Amino acid sequence: MNWDALMANFPYLVSVIVFGIGIIIVLTQSNLLKKVIGLNIMTSAVFLFYISFGNIVGGTAPILDPAAPAELYINPLPSGLILTGIVVGFSTSAFALALIVKLFSHYGTINAPDFMKMR
Amino acid sequence: MFKVPLYLILGGLIPSFAMPVLARWKKEACAPLTVLVCGVLFVLALCFGGAMIGGHQPIFQAVADWDPPWGIEIAIEPVSALMAVLITGLYLLIALFSCRALKKEMINQDSIGWYYVEFLLCMTAMLGLVITHDIFNMYVFIEVVGISAVALVVSKGDRYSTEASLKYLILATIGSGFILLAIGMLYMITGHLNMRFAGMVLAENAAHYPYMIWIMMTLFVVGFGIKSALFPLHLWLPDAHASAPSPSSAILSGLVVKVYIIALFKLFFIVFGNEFYQQSNIRILLLILGAAAMLFGSLFAFVQLDLKRRLAYSTVAQLGYIYLGLGLGTPWAIVAAFYHLVVHALMKTCLFLCAGAISYQTGRKKVTGLQNIGFTMPLTAASFTVAAFSMVGLPLTGGFISKYLLAVESMGASFPYFIALIVLSGLLNAAYYFPIIWQFYFVNEENPAGKRVFQRDKIPFTMQLPIVLTAVGIILLGTAGVIAYDYLQQIVLHFLA
Repeated sequence: MNWDALMANFPYLVSVIVFGIGIIIVLTQSNLLKKVIGLNIMTSAVFLFYISFGNIVGGTAPILDPAAPAELYINPLPSGLILTGIVVGFSTSAFALALIVKLFSHYGTINAPDFMKMR
Repeated sequence: MFKVPLYLILGGLIPSFAMPVLARWKKEACAPLTVLVCGVLFVLALCFGGAMIGGHQPIFQAVADWDPPWGIEIAIEPVSALMAVLITGLYLLIALFSCRALKKEMINQDSIGWYYVEFLLCMTAMLGLVITHDIFNMYVFIEVVGISAVALVVSKGDRYSTEASLKYLILATIGSGFILLAIGMLYMITGHLNMRFAGMVLAENAAHYPYMIWIMMTLFVVGFGIKSALFPLHLWLPDAHASAPSPSSAILSGLVVKVYIIALFKLFFIVFGNEFYQQSNIRILLLILGAAAMLFGSLFAFVQLDLKRRLAYSTVAQLGYIYLGLGLGTPWAIVAAFYHLVVHALMKTCLFLCAGAISYQTGRKKVTGLQNIGFTMPLTAASFTVAAFSMVGLPLTGGFISKYLLAVESMGASFPYFIALIVLSGLLNAAYYFPIIWQFYFVNEENPAGKRVFQRDKIPFTMQLPIVLTAVGIILLGTAGVIAYDYLQQIVLHFLA
C-alpha cells in the first residue's frame, strides 16, 4: 500500500468517508429529521471534494494584477459550481423539511416505522 | 426563427413562473394556458424534428454568446429532437386530460395554479436535460426535474402521497449526490464541462486513469439507476407513481424515468465513447440488472391488487427492457431500446390515463372491481386493451416490434437465453393484464343472464381524446413503424459512428 500517495490525496479520502457516513445515516436512521441531516452531510462531502480539487497549494485568487502577476492561480470554477450545488442542496432540504412538517400533521410522529403501523 | 433551441426552454419556463400570478387573478384560465403553451412547444419541437428527419446538421447554440468550451452549449441532435417531440406531444395530451380530471382528483382546489407551475417546470427541465451539452447544466436540470416531480406527487395532498414523495425526494437526492461526485471526477480528469470537449480529452488520456474511469461510470450508473428505477433501486417508484394524481402518474411513469436514461446514454456515448463502452464491464451489469428487472418487476406486479400500483410495477419491468437493450450494446439493440422507450412512453401514458378515467367515472381503483367497464366505457376500455396488448407484445402493436427487435438482437449478440427471458416476461405481463381485460368484457356479476349493450363513456371529451390518441399512436407504431425505425437508426448511427 502506497501511504504517501494516500496522504497526498488526504482531502479526497476524507470526503469519500464523510459521503459514506452521510449515506449510512440516511439509510439506517428511522427518524426523518436525522435522515435529512444525513443528506446534508452527504452533499457537504461532495462540496468538500469539489473545493479540494479546485485548490492549488501556493496559488492565489484568480484576479489578474498587471503590475504584479502571480505565478500560480487557483481554478475558480469548482468553487463557482459548488455555489450552485449549495443552493440546490439547500432547496432540497427545505422541501424535505416542509414535507416532514406535513407528515407530522397527518400522522403525529416523524418516526418512519410508525407510519406502517398507522396504515 | 426556429433555429434557436433556447426557445424550447424559455417557452415553458416563463409561463410556468407567470402561473401563480394568473391563478390569483383567474383560476380557471390556468389549465387552458398550459395546454396552449404545450401546443406551441409541440409545434416548435416538430419543426426541429422535421429538420432532423430531413437530414439537417445538428443545431448548436452557445448560450449568451460564450463559445464552447467555456460557455454552456445546447444542441438539437437527432436524439434530443426525438425526445423533445415525445415530451411536448405527451405533455399536450396530458395537459388536456388534466383540465377536468384534476377537478375531481386534487384534494385542495385552491392550489391548482401551483400544480401547473410544477407541471410546466418539469417539462422545461426535461427538455433542458435532453438538449443540454454541458455536464453541470445537466446536473442542475436533473435536480429541477427531481424536485418538480416530487412536487407533482405531493400535490394530491393526502397522507399516502406525502409519505411516498418524501421517500422519492430522499432517494432522488442520494442519486444526485452520486451524479455530482462523478461529475466532479470527470471535471478533475478532463478540465472540461462541455460533453464533446470532455470526450475528446478523455479519449486521449483514458489510459492514465483506469480506476478513476471505472469509479466514475459506476457512480453514474448508480446515480441514474436510482433516479430511473433500475431494478434493485426501484423502491421509491411504486409508492410515488401509485399515489400521485393520474396526470402526474402518466408524466412520471411515461417521461421522467426515461429522460434519465437518455442522459445516461448521452454521457456514455458522447463523453466515454462507444469503443470504451463496449469494453467496459458496466455494460454487463446493465444487462444483468435489466434482465432481473424484467423478471422481478413482472412478478411483483402480478401480486398487486391496486390498479395504479400494478401499472407502476409494470413500469419497473418495462424499464428492464430498455436497460437490456443498452446493455447488449450493439447498434440494433440500442435501436430496439429506443423503440421500446418511445412505445412504452405512449403505452404507460395511455394506461395511467385510462386508470384515471375509470376512477373518474366509476370510482373503482382495485383490479378486482372492474367488471362491465367494457360496456359502460367502451372507448376507454378499448384503448386500455390496445395498450395492454402492446405491453404483452402481441402483433400489430408497438410493443411487438420492440420486443421482436430485442429478441433478434440478443441472438445476434450471442446471448440467446435472453430470448427465453423476454418470452417469460411477456407471459407474466399477459398474466397480470389479461384478467383485467377479461373482467372488462366477460364478467357480469350483477346480472348474469341479462344482455348487455354498449353505452357511451360518461367522461368529458377532453379526457377521452388523449386516451384514444395514445392508443392510435401505439397501433401506428406497430403497423407503420418503418418511419420511426429509420429515424431511430439515424440517431444511433449518429452516436456510434
